Amino acid sequence: MTAEGWLEPPPLPHHYETIENHQAALRFGMWLFLGTEVLLFAGIFVGYFVFRTYFPESFEQAGRHLSLFLGTLNTFLLLTSSLTVALAHHNAEHGKNRNAFWLLMASVAMGAGFLCIKAIEYTEKFHEGALPGKFFSFSEITAPGGPVFYVVYFFSTGLHALHVIVGMSLLTWVATRCWRKEFSPTYYAPVENAGLYWHLVDLVWIFLYPLLYLV
Amino acid sequence: MASSTTTAGAHAAAAHKETSPAKLILNWLVLCGLTGATFGVSQIHMPVNYHLAAAICIACVKVTLVVLIFMHLWHGEGINRIVFLTSFLFLLLLMFFVMADVGTRFTLSNSRIPPMPVVDQKMMPTGMPPGMSSVPQGHSDGPGPSSGEAGKQ
Repeated sequence: MTAEGWLEPPPLPHHYETIENHQAALRFGMWLFLGTEVLLFAGIFVGYFVFRTYFPESFEQAGRHLSLFLGTLNTFLLLTSSLTVALAHHNAEHGKNRNAFWLLMASVAMGAGFLCIKAIEYTEKFHEGALPGKFFSFSEITAPGGPVFYVVYFFSTGLHALHVIVGMSLLTWVATRCWRKEFSPTYYAPVENAGLYWHLVDLVWIFLYPLLYLV
Repeated sequence: MASSTTTAGAHAAAAHKETSPAKLILNWLVLCGLTGATFGVSQIHMPVNYHLAAAICIACVKVTLVVLIFMHLWHGEGINRIVFLTSFLFLLLLMFFVMADVGTRFTLSNSRIPPMPVVDQKMMPTGMPPGMSSVPQGHSDGPGPSSGEAGKQ
């Protein structure tokens, strides 16, 4: 433990000249990974637009049957959790590990809240028979293409929810490291990278929310 | 070695520009405001394509704010900006060519395709054992009676 109250950073790998050099490389690696994530979700968004072009009426009808209140609440939850993650990064960067811990735990709690709300929405859809493909039996959507909308809806929100779960796990992991006071002005890359992942989850939702719930 | 790297790191960290908590909170407020704007615009009565365009425009502004301020691309290394912009460009390319294809498709035939001829049961070859009908029964109206039942009739 240093005099400032945080642990010594891990030893610098020999192929890096400075710690800052190492952190920049870690950040760059994370951005490359996020690039592949953007392309993963790109396929889903393209699918959305293609099927929307084929079945515009059923997409409008089905969109009106999603809970606008719950969707908007989830948007605010994710935006706020992004703020707490960004603040946690700021605190970790200044060696304020305990503050960073609580901010990260708040983000995890908001992620859990998001998943609970999503579960409520899914349950409602299951009861209505608003389901993908051959499981579709929702009588209120009369236009052709209802089952296709729910394929897009469940696949996009399901993959997003999976990312929320992975993001929550990463945030919990870095939060425990914050509790152990591992981060300092010279070493905070894990908080930053887990935070970048969480922000990406937020980015995807920023597009999903209007496309599914509002349009 | 260890002390020199720590000093270099501390120096770099000191030189590193960062976003203040006040700016982060302000950004969050703007993002919440834009979410409200998306909701508000969706309630205005106008053609659905305008709704779609407005929703995508506001979402792009929100994403730009998150990426530049929460994800620190404003102050970050240029190479990370290139990575993100490239992935976004590839998304747009994929979207553009697929939608250009879907949006410009046309019916291949210039006349109505004639309906399938109705097979007259009396014209069926005789002497076929039950269940061995050459024409599947109930083909035009989904899953119908099984071919076994059809053979008994």
